Amino acid sequence: MYQASVEGAILDHQFRVAAYVVTWLIQSGYVIWLAMKWRAQKRDAERLGIERPKTQQ
Amino acid sequence: MKKIALGLYAVVVVLLLMWGYYQAIYVAPNDAMQGEISRIIYYHVPHASLSFIFFGVSLIGSIGFLAYQRSQPARAQLYDAWALSGAEIGVVFCTIALITGPIWGRRAWGIWWTWDARLTTTLVLWLIYVSYLLLRRFSAGPQMQTLAAVLGIFGALDVPIVYMSNRWWRTQHPAPVFGGSQGSGMDASMLHPFLWNMLAWFAWGVLILAIRFFVERQHQRIAAAEARVALEA
Repeated sequence: MYQASVEGAILDHQFRVAAYVVTWLIQSGYVIWLAMKWRAQKRDAERLGIERPKTQQ
Repeated sequence: MKKIALGLYAVVVVLLLMWGYYQAIYVAPNDAMQGEISRIIYYHVPHASLSFIFFGVSLIGSIGFLAYQRSQPARAQLYDAWALSGAEIGVVFCTIALITGPIWGRRAWGIWWTWDARLTTTLVLWLIYVSYLLLRRFSAGPQMQTLAAVLGIFGALDVPIVYMSNRWWRTQHPAPVFGGSQGSGMDASMLHPFLWNMLAWFAWGVLILAIRFFVERQHQRIAAAEARVALEA
């Protein structure tokens, strides 16, 4: 009985950690993808001679 | 000035997320019935409910695009950028809700998935907006934005159905905790960590929505410049 409850608690912990890790992986992965896109656009903008509008500086 | 404001806001968001994590792990008690897996709700529920807000942003952007498409093309492009940004952030949040939900369900119910009303309507919502993003990614031409806007508006119609699904139908998914039947609600010891996490993830969502919007506006400027160069050549 005690053994089963300890195993259950360990499993609960692992599932909770899995949910949190997945959340952070997806969110940070998305931000990294956005940052890469931003950098690529910066290069394209320089190539084409586009300046950011002054209101966004 | 805007860069400094964005940087400061990002610092506040990171601090809020750390505080939310602390609240969820060290302050909130274990649920008497569910044990530690109940802590998944501090991430799952904010992501599920906030995805509705971002799909709402996409809806407003889509309507604005269709409304100004002919009369004010420049303003329509602005709305289109909001529509795309809202849809993309909504998909990110909805994806997390669809993954963390089954992780919780596997321990709570003993199954990863069941075709109940709440889960199925959420999956349909996710599929509609993934189709929206695929349409935008793989099609081109003047009609693409119009088609995407129409799809975005139809997709948003699923949001109230998802919200009401566990009120209209008997579902495996837990009954609504807020705005549900009599006796529903959350103990204050869990409510405060929950609200902190709602605030933290909302602030995070607004931050990445703003960044995505600026990236899309820059993409529009680059596409216009490339079109000009191609015409001149």
